[in-house]
Amino acid sequence: MTYLRTNSRSAQHRTRAVIAASTGIVIVIALIHIISPNLISGIWTAIARPFWRIEFSVESGAIRSIETLVAENEELRRRMIEIGARLDTIHFVELQNSELKYLLERTISTSTTNSILAAVLERPPFGPYDELIIDIGKDKGLTVKDKIYAPGKILIGEIGAVLGKTSKVILFSSPGNKYEVLIGPRHVPATAIGRGGGQYEAHVARDIPIKEGDFIEVPSLSDLPFAVVTSVISDTAQPFETILFAPVVNVYQLRWVLVEKQ
Amino acid sequence: MHKIILRIVLDIGIVIAVFNGWWFIVLPLSFVGIWLLPFFIEIVIAGLIYDSLFGFVPEMGIWGYVGTLTSIFFLFIIALIKGNIR
Repeated sequence: MTYLRTNSRSAQHRTRAVIAASTGIVIVIALIHIISPNLISGIWTAIARPFWRIEFSVESGAIRSIETLVAENEELRRRMIEIGARLDTIHFVELQNSELKYLLERTISTSTTNSILAAVLERPPFGPYDELIIDIGKDKGLTVKDKIYAPGKILIGEIGAVLGKTSKVILFSSPGNKYEVLIGPRHVPATAIGRGGGQYEAHVARDIPIKEGDFIEVPSLSDLPFAVVTSVISDTAQPFETILFAPVVNVYQLRWVLVEKQ
Repeated sequence: MHKIILRIVLDIGIVIAVFNGWWFIVLPLSFVGIWLLPFFIEIVIAGLIYDSLFGFVPEMGIWGYVGTLTSIFFLFIIALIKGNIR
């Protein structure tokens, strides 16, 4: 009796070819990556960069009508005047704060004049890690671990890899990253864990009064306020409550960041 | 002929999605490609490009290679299933 074969030889050969090709590719890539860690990244980033620049320009309004841009310009000027008035008050408070810290022999830098402005070219969504791609790299002398600030001197991450004309920024909120933080006006110590998307969480005893809007400090990273409490999740059955917090800026809406060179 | 056109369309879609970091679009497109087309090695190249652009950072550890590893895994699994049921 004759039976039809369920597997054809060509299919088996195809599967073997796929396995062999995949293995070959992995070995070649691994070798190249070991010899020159930034070579493959540099090539693909150089190819992608013009497309990212075009996307950035389009999102920045490069193809909008002149009337729309003029109206937006007027609106921004009006808001700048309002913000300028408020900024004067903030400067006064900052000055007062610096003077007090100086009197207590504790000085910090609040200036961003030594920082380099960088455009955020890409923010891969739903990635396994929190990351931004910025448009400056070795060409501006950046190095790994340079600090990244959102406008307003808000520390959000550090440089993870530097390529020719781009850099990869790893945000502090990358899932699993842990930091010792101080929460609220009573400086309650806790361990914060990055949750991705610019979000963090920490657990503190339920009887400690913490409310939304309280500032978070991370002494190991910055002397300035790091984030604010966005939510307090309390369960009467549990001895601890969960504190969720995030920087005052949405890291995924950032178009520009400041890089402070080490 | 229509398979060549399908391959080109899928490749264009995959390249656009990879450059934007949209892995959730790359994967379904790649599954279609692996299933319908012979030897769809583009998925591995897409994984490699994704990691080159957004991964390959020592701090990320194994997560910096997740695109390449995932693509090889899916290529192998789907090719195996295809080989067994056809």
